[in-house]
Amino acid sequence: MTKDFARSTLNARHRPVLRALAEAMFSPDGEVVPERLDAFVDDVDGFISPASKTLRFGLVLMLFAIRWSPLLFFRFRTFEELTVDERVHHLERLERSKVKQLPLLVVAYKTVLTMIFYEDETEQRAIGYPGHARERWKTALPVVQPRREAIGSEEAAS
Amino acid sequence: MTSPAVAHEHAHGHERAERERLPVIRGREQAAPFSAKVDVVIVGSGAGGAVLARELARDGRSVLVLEEGGHYAPSEYGAMTPSNSFRRLSREAGMSVALGLGDTPLISLLAGKCVGGSSVLTGGVCFRIPEEVLHTWSSSLGLGRMTPEGLDPFFSEVEGICHVEDVPAHMRSRATELFVEGADKLGIPMKTMRRNTKGCRGAARCNFGCPNGAKMSVDVSFLPDAVAHGATVVSDALVERIDITGGVARGVRGRFLDGVTGEPRVRFEVRAKLVVVACGSMHTPILLRRSGLDSVHIGRHLTLHPAVRIGALFDEAVDGWDGALQSVYTDHFLGDGIWLNGVYSPVNVLAAAFPGVGREHRRLVKQMPNLAFFGGMVHDDGGGQVRRWISREPLVTYKMVKRDKARLLKTIHILGRMAFAAGAREVLTPIFGMATVKKEKDLEFLLEDKVAASKVECMAFHPLGSAKMATTADAGVVKPTGETWAVDNLFVCDGSILPTSIGVNSQLPIMSVAMMLARGIAADFERYSSRA
Repeated sequence: MTKDFARSTLNARHRPVLRALAEAMFSPDGEVVPERLDAFVDDVDGFISPASKTLRFGLVLMLFAIRWSPLLFFRFRTFEELTVDERVHHLERLERSKVKQLPLLVVAYKTVLTMIFYEDETEQRAIGYPGHARERWKTALPVVQPRREAIGSEEAAS
Repeated sequence: MTSPAVAHEHAHGHERAERERLPVIRGREQAAPFSAKVDVVIVGSGAGGAVLARELARDGRSVLVLEEGGHYAPSEYGAMTPSNSFRRLSREAGMSVALGLGDTPLISLLAGKCVGGSSVLTGGVCFRIPEEVLHTWSSSLGLGRMTPEGLDPFFSEVEGICHVEDVPAHMRSRATELFVEGADKLGIPMKTMRRNTKGCRGAARCNFGCPNGAKMSVDVSFLPDAVAHGATVVSDALVERIDITGGVARGVRGRFLDGVTGEPRVRFEVRAKLVVVACGSMHTPILLRRSGLDSVHIGRHLTLHPAVRIGALFDEAVDGWDGALQSVYTDHFLGDGIWLNGVYSPVNVLAAAFPGVGREHRRLVKQMPNLAFFGGMVHDDGGGQVRRWISREPLVTYKMVKRDKARLLKTIHILGRMAFAAGAREVLTPIFGMATVKKEKDLEFLLEDKVAASKVECMAFHPLGSAKMATTADAGVVKPTGETWAVDNLFVCDGSILPTSIGVNSQLPIMSVAMMLARGIAADFERYSSRA
């Protein structure tokens, strides 16, 4: 594979918020081990980092907004301080909000996080996706005719 | 005896290997400043630039193609996960958006940034420009050559080169078959899609680079022929400015992108008799403005074909990933500016748009094998604008007219009805925060203008028109020949010159118009050269 651009976007302040978001999205009942969540944060950082400065700034700003968004509903705690169930409930409220920008906070990160989380082969197998195998294209393969000599030799052998 | 499957494998394996031999100079590996002198320098290697490169190289001109993105062989596409494809092949890692102004959704935009440009990321769908659109261009806008008869030879030739074919019925996924069944019950006729493929294996991930090298994107169709006729392709080359002296374009200058940081580093300069800008509708206006062109039309009139898709949950296993990504469509609602087609995508990308958070989201994702997806797009008015802004990427805004918003919601309504007619038990609408719909009558709210456009998950794949062609300098950016009105020997050759929305996928139209312009440039090359 050609060498890829490498840089980082998320710092130590952003990572706990993203991890808390991932936990609410994918591990409401503790399905995902903590180490995987930590590694997942790195994967997300790797994904968003090739984007332009402005987009990366926007994503970091959105993370800041998510962190303090519980204040909008008079919850005087940061997002990562909420319990997992409270976070899920909070994200649902944001996604349903009639304030134009609030659903976008959830949707933007949900899109990126989900795409990367379900890229994992174990997760894909768990949801019934078989991987690269495909069958339909084989149903109309060209038929190869046996050569005449081969037919003749088979007849002679029989 | 060789089994049919093995024979087929060998034949296509050989063809794919042939397609991989595209020698490209990698700008990220250049350590020293670079300069060159050629007849034609083309900025961008997508559907417009690649066709032009082939035509002018075949005409005996020395051609240099500069591409900002990286170069990957088709065999590498298959090794990339969807997120890696986004990172390596797309602008903004696939996260480009058009900001909605007023009652307009945020629109996700997918544009290529690699050798082959957006043609690498299309679903392969090929349509000619509808006759009624060409009629408007030729009669109302005065673009006399843009008629069905005038463009027919170019459409035909491009279709031959990039192997446009009907998608065979056996390549329809079960999801598409359900889409057809639902349409049939509602009396909506479906038609077979045409795509530029050769040996498609139905991986249903065309938008991330074909893993089987079967999609005849320009990196495997036009560029190899251009290179065979002497053209040179350079990747990772960011053109920052067009050199213009005395009202004539003289060349370009820019910097190669660093392989580790992605930032511009080593400088290059190219002198050329003709400069062709083919960066696509989002970046052509930026380069023109940066180079001093000041037409009010640069960056305006952007059309997008806003699109939506729904999910439909069935009792049966659909396994929608097995089959061609897109294989049928209907133009039954074209009077309303609505175009419907079967769609699919990698499962993790589909899951990203599911409603809910936590357990509800997980519940739906776990039913992925039973989910089918149907899509539609709207023939829109040009409500978009591209502006220069803080970074290298443009600020794209879009104001959707009321009619198009109603069309978008109607599209969701029709798709939902088709899903229920096909036997779906739940429908996943692209409305943020909305639970799945379990009864057809619960879709009626979509026709009542109660949904804010900002709540609609919307995407677009065909940005067009931001440097439009016109018969006078007051009305557009380029002449009918493709040359800019403002600067001699500076041409634009990509989707940005199409003067209105076309309502169909833009790949074949861009390539065919590019071929028409290229033939004109070749015929008049000596005259252009004399001005250089």
